[in-house]
Amino acid sequence: MTDDAPVLRIRGLVKDFDGFRALNGIDLEFGKGLLIGLIGPNGCGKSTMMKCISRTHPQTEGTIEVDGKDVSAMKPAEVAKMVANVPAEAGQTFGMSVMDMVMLGRYPFVDRIWWEDPEDERIAKEALRTFGIYHLRRKQVALCSSGERQRALIAKAYVQEPKLMLVDEPTSHLDMKYKLQVMEYLQKMARADMTVMVAEHDISLMARYCDLCVIMKKGEVVAVGDPKEIITEQLIRDVYEVEARVGLDADGEIYVLPKRYIEDDP
Amino acid sequence: MSKGGMLSQMKDGYRGLRSDLEEPDVSEIELKKKRFRLIVLFGAFMSVVAFLISISISSGGVIPLSDAVSALFSSIAKAIDGDTNLDMIELYVYNARLPRTIAAIAVGAGLSIAGCMYQAIIRNPLVDPYITGVSSGAGCLAIAATAIGFSVPFLVDNSLYIIPFMAIVGGIIAFLITMTVAEGSGGASINYILAGTIVGFAFASVQTIFMSMGKDNLTDIMWWLYGSFANVTWENAWIVFIPVIGISVIAMVWAREFNLYSMGEDQAAQLGLNVKRFKRVTMIVASVLTSLCVAFCGIIGFVGLVVPHACRMALGSDHRLIMPASIVIGAMLMLFADLVARTVLSPAELPVGAITALIGTPVFAYMLMKRGRNYDG
Repeated sequence: MTDDAPVLRIRGLVKDFDGFRALNGIDLEFGKGLLIGLIGPNGCGKSTMMKCISRTHPQTEGTIEVDGKDVSAMKPAEVAKMVANVPAEAGQTFGMSVMDMVMLGRYPFVDRIWWEDPEDERIAKEALRTFGIYHLRRKQVALCSSGERQRALIAKAYVQEPKLMLVDEPTSHLDMKYKLQVMEYLQKMARADMTVMVAEHDISLMARYCDLCVIMKKGEVVAVGDPKEIITEQLIRDVYEVEARVGLDADGEIYVLPKRYIEDDP
Repeated sequence: MSKGGMLSQMKDGYRGLRSDLEEPDVSEIELKKKRFRLIVLFGAFMSVVAFLISISISSGGVIPLSDAVSALFSSIAKAIDGDTNLDMIELYVYNARLPRTIAAIAVGAGLSIAGCMYQAIIRNPLVDPYITGVSSGAGCLAIAATAIGFSVPFLVDNSLYIIPFMAIVGGIIAFLITMTVAEGSGGASINYILAGTIVGFAFASVQTIFMSMGKDNLTDIMWWLYGSFANVTWENAWIVFIPVIGISVIAMVWAREFNLYSMGEDQAAQLGLNVKRFKRVTMIVASVLTSLCVAFCGIIGFVGLVVPHACRMALGSDHRLIMPASIVIGAMLMLFADLVARTVLSPAELPVGAITALIGTPVFAYMLMKRGRNYDG
């Protein structure tokens, strides 16, 4: 694998669910070290595409290559060493501690039946320190704040040492401070050569932090590129059916201010 | 770039907390290994103590411990030599106490592990080993055998095995129907709960019809419905003990996978677990385990539901600790419950299933009040 080869290459990706086409011929290609924002209305196929990439859902047609390897031809454990997934919420965790949850990220790497190696523990602890939650390692995940839980979920994905990290709505339950904090962690990971793809509804936040944005609608990609170039009032109207003000603030950062939704035709 | 390089780049952004720096860096894995060793040692010690108490105390009174132990060893030595000339105490310890004691250990451990597995797979704290309709299926055919004399040709002459055989068959049939319905409706955990509930109701209804058809024989089967070790002999004790303990220990191999499953199916799949296959295999194993447990000793409730929770409250979420602890606590609770069941109203016997709940409820209620506030089980 050369350094110039794309980390993610998707060709003709189609995913059908019982007659419903969730993804319709997606073609994408990204290099390493990018923070990519995946934007689109509810049900446009963002999460489905991420699940296809991480092989949680098999695609109906098309190919997905991560680091030059076809994921559908790989064993799940091998995919887990290259692609990590951060869910929007931890869900029920049965009293699991933060440390225990982060250590689960080492599962694909542990050959022994029962105990992880000291090296696995070292990597997990280093990730806990990196994301500022080392002091919470023995705390139950359920008792952590939403921001702490989100960082723990990112740390769990991080210890998988992935080439590509897929993050699904990481800031949906977070207040302003934690939203910014989580985005900065994701940006730092991208700067450290990991490719990070984030699905989010906060377009201003995506536009500010992401190197590239992918805009989706009804299972298709309608725009890809620099957020400052592709996010326009016309695009928001076409994709979201919402009138919005799109502009640059005093610092030159893009903002999107929704004004009113466009009524569906009766 | 190497991971170390990546981490050092990222660390620049983290200032660190004083508590992180002052706290000695204790290995979490070593801590867990220590706790695991402690559970094994405590379990071994308490099992020996409970075992000795169990063989010493009976409805007829207390045999001095030294006599019970010496009778135990001498009777085993005679059994190995083929000598059937046992004295009274040896007869009592070897034939009456010992098979019952090892069956209680196996059933307590087996139901606890089965409960632990189901709770982890179905991800529902109210799940017990009977959730997939196994107990109703087992009860239905066991009662068919007892109440209306339904049987199979090759077992007609061997009444000792007829109820257990029918119970195992019934339990496995009920589980297979549950699995077929659950998988046919999507295979999610909630599908298993709903399918198990309706299959359980269906078998319970048929069971009630059989009971009304054969009401003259009801006293024979009451012991089975409420759970009892009274009918355990050497002939059937091994059939319970060896497979149940074997399966329980083998199931612990999956402890890390159960931890993974606790995060949900999508996360487990994303981390490389073949979720569908794992769920099917472990559900089948747990159902066979439950069927074996109920086959010889009837339907004993409470243990499979509460013991895994108690262990989780005391030890956290790691199945590498919960599973061995469940074996130990389940076995001891069952031994103690059986001891109470056969001695309190001697010579009459109480249903052991009622005693497990009577002993366990206050203990669990206390744990719930102490730790329930922070319990996410």
